[in-house]
Amino acid sequence: MLKNIARRLKRNKRGVSNVMVVMLSLVLVVIVVDNIVLWDYQMNQLDWERMQEKIEITAVSVDTGSRFTIQNTGSQTAHLVSLWILDNSLKNHQRYDLNIFINAGDTFQLARSDIILPETPYIVKIVTEKGNAAIYTGPKPVISSLAFSP
Amino acid sequence: MSRTFLNNNRGVTPVLSSLLLTVVAVAAMSIATTATYVITNNLRDTMSERVIIEDVWFNNQTIDVYIRNIGKTAIQVKAVYVNYTSQENFTKPFNLEIGQHKWLIIEEDWTPGSLYHVNMVTTRGTHVEEYSTAP
Repeated sequence: MLKNIARRLKRNKRGVSNVMVVMLSLVLVVIVVDNIVLWDYQMNQLDWERMQEKIEITAVSVDTGSRFTIQNTGSQTAHLVSLWILDNSLKNHQRYDLNIFINAGDTFQLARSDIILPETPYIVKIVTEKGNAAIYTGPKPVISSLAFSP
Repeated sequence: MSRTFLNNNRGVTPVLSSLLLTVVAVAAMSIATTATYVITNNLRDTMSERVIIEDVWFNNQTIDVYIRNIGKTAIQVKAVYVNYTSQENFTKPFNLEIGQHKWLIIEEDWTPGSLYHVNMVTTRGTHVEEYSTAP
């Protein structure tokens, strides 16, 4: 019985080309799905993560250079990559490289002895790797030692 | 026996036709696969472009724009528009690899207090726009 079926299948070539066409088409479909759909999913994930990221500069003070208090109020770990100091007259824009990771909900104290805040009102801008930014518009900084003295 | 085999031409045509059909099918499939790969790769690159403007600085007769590539593909800025007017004098060629960042300098006589709309277009058609008031 089984031998008969196998023999009939061997002789009968009808439908083979259809199977071949479907298999070859599947290769094309896999390329399209891999390149477009999965990539689109990844990029959507990236955009979603970017929307979830939120950082705030809560305080800026002078302390042997400058001290910036940065809080991550989002639900994603933030990777800080740039710090900008812009004086209010916008005549000088200074950029500093950062490489700081702040976990969700954490607060980070960034002390930089090489950053001298301008005398005039200034803007501090911190940019994350995902492209979000936090802005702090500063009045003239209060010196920490004086602020905490009794 | 070998003479008999060589003199016998029966069955050559089906073999040749099968062979040719296989060659044609493989060639067609290769072209289709390559075309699909190229087209989808271009689409993927277009979808992967993400660019941000970190800062706009009005300098002496220039507008300097600090750009960061936060996407997953390298980009090239092809055109720059300031207040919807095409600018020819800017840093060329302006290429940014993944994660790279640098200044793009546009030569423009800006007026203090005026609002400027800076629009940059990449080779794949992604727009990055920013409004900024000159100091």
